Amino acid sequence: MGLLDKLETIATTRETLLPKGINPFNVVIEEIHSATEGTIDGHRVVLAGTNNYLGLTFHPSCIEAARETLLKEGTGTTGSRMANGTFSGHSALEKELALFYGCSSAIVFSTGFVTNLGAISSLAGPGDVIVMDADSHASIYDACRMSGAEMIRFRHNNMVDLEKKLSRLGPKCKNTLIIVEGIYSMLGDCAPLAEITALKKKYGAWLMVDEAHSMGVLGEHGRGLAEAVGVEQDIDFTVGTFSKSLGAVGGYCVSNHPELDLLRYVCRSYVFTASPSPATISSVREALRVINSQPQLRTKLWENVEQLYRGLEHSGFELGPDPSPIVAIRVPSKEKALLAWKAILEKGIYVNLVFPPAAPAGLFLLRCSISAAHTSEQIEYILKTFADLKPMMTDAV
Amino acid sequence: MTTPQYDTIFQQIEALLLEYAQLQVPIQDDTDLINDLGFDSLKLMEMLEDVEDIFDITYPLNDLSNLHTVKDFVLQIQQIVGGE
Repeated sequence: MGLLDKLETIATTRETLLPKGINPFNVVIEEIHSATEGTIDGHRVVLAGTNNYLGLTFHPSCIEAARETLLKEGTGTTGSRMANGTFSGHSALEKELALFYGCSSAIVFSTGFVTNLGAISSLAGPGDVIVMDADSHASIYDACRMSGAEMIRFRHNNMVDLEKKLSRLGPKCKNTLIIVEGIYSMLGDCAPLAEITALKKKYGAWLMVDEAHSMGVLGEHGRGLAEAVGVEQDIDFTVGTFSKSLGAVGGYCVSNHPELDLLRYVCRSYVFTASPSPATISSVREALRVINSQPQLRTKLWENVEQLYRGLEHSGFELGPDPSPIVAIRVPSKEKALLAWKAILEKGIYVNLVFPPAAPAGLFLLRCSISAAHTSEQIEYILKTFADLKPMMTDAV
Repeated sequence: MTTPQYDTIFQQIEALLLEYAQLQVPIQDDTDLINDLGFDSLKLMEMLEDVEDIFDITYPLNDLSNLHTVKDFVLQIQQIVGGE
């Protein structure tokens, strides 16, 4: 078998889709008009699949902060955090993130993905154990492989299975890092964090929570699921991203363990990649201030979530288990999902199409992500479109 | 704990392999899980959950990189059962 032969299956699949005008994994947004509208294939569409939960990509003060820094500090750092890539903004943002979480320290990374790659593979190594939820993000899986630690997965949100696996580890629990997510990105469900922290304490393990999709969304101050559940003091490491609620790109890890700072010296995805641009950092700092000072954005987000989730539920769609800014509609087959996704786009709505292995348990999903910036009228239009096209998404036809 | 015999484990996983395999072929020691039985990563994970229940073990994902044939699988399970 030649080097490139393994790509043949993908090429064949793509060739069957392109003549039908379906290319869901290479959509180009030709123009972006606002946090909720863009132009795709020459048509203006409602963006309902962008993880822009608070709509901050177009927040005037975030744009202004980025603009000012762009003019003052230039377009990029051209270096890694360890070399010439740490500007005063990076350090200031780390202090502000630590303050936001009430933690002693924070590290800023270039993306959420490399945050997980770096933090996890530096914290755990050969001789350690990582116990991860089965529905964890690809970055967590890849990081675990990179770490060289023993990788164990427990069934998604299944506390019986988690306890069984921890109990078998015995004294190795003190070298065990449990990794879960605040909100899971495919079905939008939350981790049972109170139970997980109880098990973590019972067995003396360590706990990392990825709040990528829950930061800015959950908790009175937007700190995520741990704040919402009241277990922040039991979380050893919190990781997250700037590319969702904070409306930019980058990632972070915060902790009360003073050893976190030592990761700067061993974490390859920190040492060997360029740092976020100064303008990006400024927009994130401003977005953090907005999240702190404008809780009404979260209120509006959850009103929108309720409207979309309950509306789709009322129309009889099979959804993820809980209302959340990620609303996943289950479709019975790949073919139906593809045709429905195309029809929805032609009606002027962009959503995400998700197949296995990205989707869990062999599911085919049309995934909406809702924003505080969506208007009630936009959500009504999404609901009407899905209801009109429902026969394409069910077993009925 | 007494480590179960190779044949005993083989018989127990044979039925599972046939249940989850995309391609139905006779299960032998050198049957390849991907090339002969058509397993993909998702099906493999689903089956591993059953394996963990049946043998009351934890199967580390690291072992997947050395899992190619039915014989590999049986030996891995035998080793895990013996070690727990």
